[in-house]
Amino acid sequence: MTKPINFKIQICCGTMCYIMGGASLHSLKETLPAEIKDSVSIEGIPCMGLCNQPDAEHQHPCVLINGEIIKNASNHKIVKQLLNHTEL
Amino acid sequence: MTYYNNAVRTKRELLVRLIQLLDSEQLYDKIDRIPLEMRPRTNSPIRCCVHKDRAVLKYKIMASLGFNIADEVDELTPLKDYAKEAINGIDSNGKFLTVVDEACSSCVQVNYTVSNLCQGCEGRPCQVNCPKDAITVINGKANIDHHKCVNCGLCQKACPFHAIAYLPVPCEESCPVKAIKKNEQGIEVIDFDKCIHCGKCMTSCPFGAIAEKSQILDFYDSLRNKNRKMIAMVAPAVLSQFKTKSQNILSAIKAIGFDHVMEVAEGAAITTSNETQELLEHIEEGKSFLTSSCCPSYVDLVEKHVPALKPQVSHTASPMLFTAAKAKEQYPEHDLVFIGPCLAKRKEVYDTKKIKYVITTEELGSLWAALHIDPSKLDTIDGISGNINPESRGFAASGGVSHSILATLGADKNISTQLIDGIDKKSIKLLKAYSKKAPRVDFIEVMACQGGCINGPGNIAPPSLGLSNLKKSIAELSPEPELINA
Ligand code: FES
Repeated sequence: MTKPINFKIQICCGTMCYIMGGASLHSLKETLPAEIKDSVSIEGIPCMGLCNQPDAEHQHPCVLINGEIIKNASNHKIVKQLLNHTEL
Repeated sequence: MTYYNNAVRTKRELLVRLIQLLDSEQLYDKIDRIPLEMRPRTNSPIRCCVHKDRAVLKYKIMASLGFNIADEVDELTPLKDYAKEAINGIDSNGKFLTVVDEACSSCVQVNYTVSNLCQGCEGRPCQVNCPKDAITVINGKANIDHHKCVNCGLCQKACPFHAIAYLPVPCEESCPVKAIKKNEQGIEVIDFDKCIHCGKCMTSCPFGAIAEKSQILDFYDSLRNKNRKMIAMVAPAVLSQFKTKSQNILSAIKAIGFDHVMEVAEGAAITTSNETQELLEHIEEGKSFLTSSCCPSYVDLVEKHVPALKPQVSHTASPMLFTAAKAKEQYPEHDLVFIGPCLAKRKEVYDTKKIKYVITTEELGSLWAALHIDPSKLDTIDGISGNINPESRGFAASGGVSHSILATLGADKNISTQLIDGIDKKSIKLLKAYSKKAPRVDFIEVMACQGGCINGPGNIAPPSLGLSNLKKSIAELSPEPELINA
C-alpha cells in the first residue's frame, strides 16, 4: 500500500536560490527520515520572485511546504519542519 | 571542494550586488553602501561589532574587484575609487589569491590546548613527556606555554583522558605545499613562490579570509559598456553544476551577451589525440611513464616542488588552450572568456596570454542571479556541437583523461594507467618517489582536486551532485551513456 502524500515540497530552482545554498537542497530526498519518506513529494519550481524584493538577503534559498514559504531553507530545516508537522 | 557555508554566501552576495550595481549604472554611487546594507546595525554582529563586519566586507569587495588587499595605501580610499580603477583591469602579477587580513581571525599559533577535561592527575604524563618543558600545572590543571610549545603532539598522545585538543589552522592544514604561514601579527601570508593556486586554503577558511582576485567587473563592464565582442569557452565541469540541461546552460551563458559559446570539450578532443600520440612515442622511445598536463595546478606543482618529474609531464597543451586557438581562428577580433571551476586556470591564462578573462562557475551563477537570467527558460542555442565525443566532456571528472586516451587507442593497445586523484601531502610524496624511481605504469593522470574539475574551488553544486549531474549531461548530449570511469 502506498501512503498518501502529506507533504508537497517545492524547491525554488531560480538561480539566486540555487547559488545561495539551494544546490544542496537537491539531496533532500536522501536526508528524509524513513518514517516520512513515503509521504513526501518533491519538485523543483521556477523562481518564485522573492529575489526581486528589496531586503531579499538571507531569504534564499526558498522552499514551499504545502504552499507555506520556508526562507533560508536547508535540508535540516525542512526535515525539522516536517517532523514537527507529523507530531501534531 | 567547497562545502556551502555562510562565508561562501557572503562572497556570492557581494558578487551579485556588484554586478547588479554595474548593470543598473549605480556602481560608483552605491558601492560604498554595500557593507552598510549587508551589515545593518540592527543585526547581531558576526565579529566583535558591526564596524568590524563592515570593514571585512570592504576588503572582500576589494578582492572581488581584483585588488591585492595588502597593497592598500590609504585606509580611507573609498570603494568607488577602487571600482573606477577595476573597470579598466588590474594587473594581478600572476598572484590570484589575497588574504583579507581583517577577516583572518588569526587562528591559534599553537595547535594544542588543554581542555577542561583535564583531571590534574598525579601521573601528569603530559608534563613528563613534553620534550620542551612547556607544560606546567596551575590550580590542578595542565597549562601549555605557547612560547615553548613546538606542536609535537606528544602531550595529546600521552593524556589518558583525551583532555588535550588539537586545534587546526584550516588554511595551513589544507595547503599541500606549505605555502601559507602566519606573520608576526598572526595573519596568514601566502608565499607565491610555493603556491600552486589549488584553492584549497580559500575553500577551507571558514572566515572567508582568503579571497580570489576576480575579474568580474572588468569583464562585465567591457561586455556591457564598452561593447567588446566576446566568445565564451565553457569547461565541461560547468555542465555538472546546475540542475538544468546542458542546452539551457549554454543558452543562458550566451544570454549574458556573448557572441558565441564554445565548449572546451572541443579542445579536449585535440588534447586527447595529441597526448595519445605523445604517449605512444614516449613508450616507443623507451622513456618511462608520461603524466597528464591539463591540470594547471599540477603543472605548477611539478615546476615548483617536484622539478625532477618535469621530463615526465606531457607537453600537450590543455583543452582550454586548444579551444582558444580554435576560437581565435574563427573570431580573431573577439575577446576570449574561459568559464570554469578553476582558480589555477587564472594563472594559466595569465601565463599563456591568449585569453582575456576567467570567470568561475560561481561567478557565472552570480551573473545569472544578478541579471535575472533563468537557464530553465532558455534553450535556444545552436551551440551544442554534435561533433564532440562524450569522452571529451568526461575530462571534468577524475579518470576522464585516461579514459579518453584509452578510448582513442582502442582495445588492442596494452596501456596501463594510474590516477592520482587530488594533490595533497601524501600524493606529493608519491610523486616525489616516482621522480626518483619510475613506477611500472605508462600513463599517470593527476588532478589537483579530488574527483576532478567537478570539485573545483569555483563551483556551486555540492560534491555529491557534480558527478551524477555530469554523467546525466553527457548522456543527454550523446547517444551512448556510461562513459566516465567512476
Ligand atoms: S530564485 Fe528563488 S525566489 Fe527567485
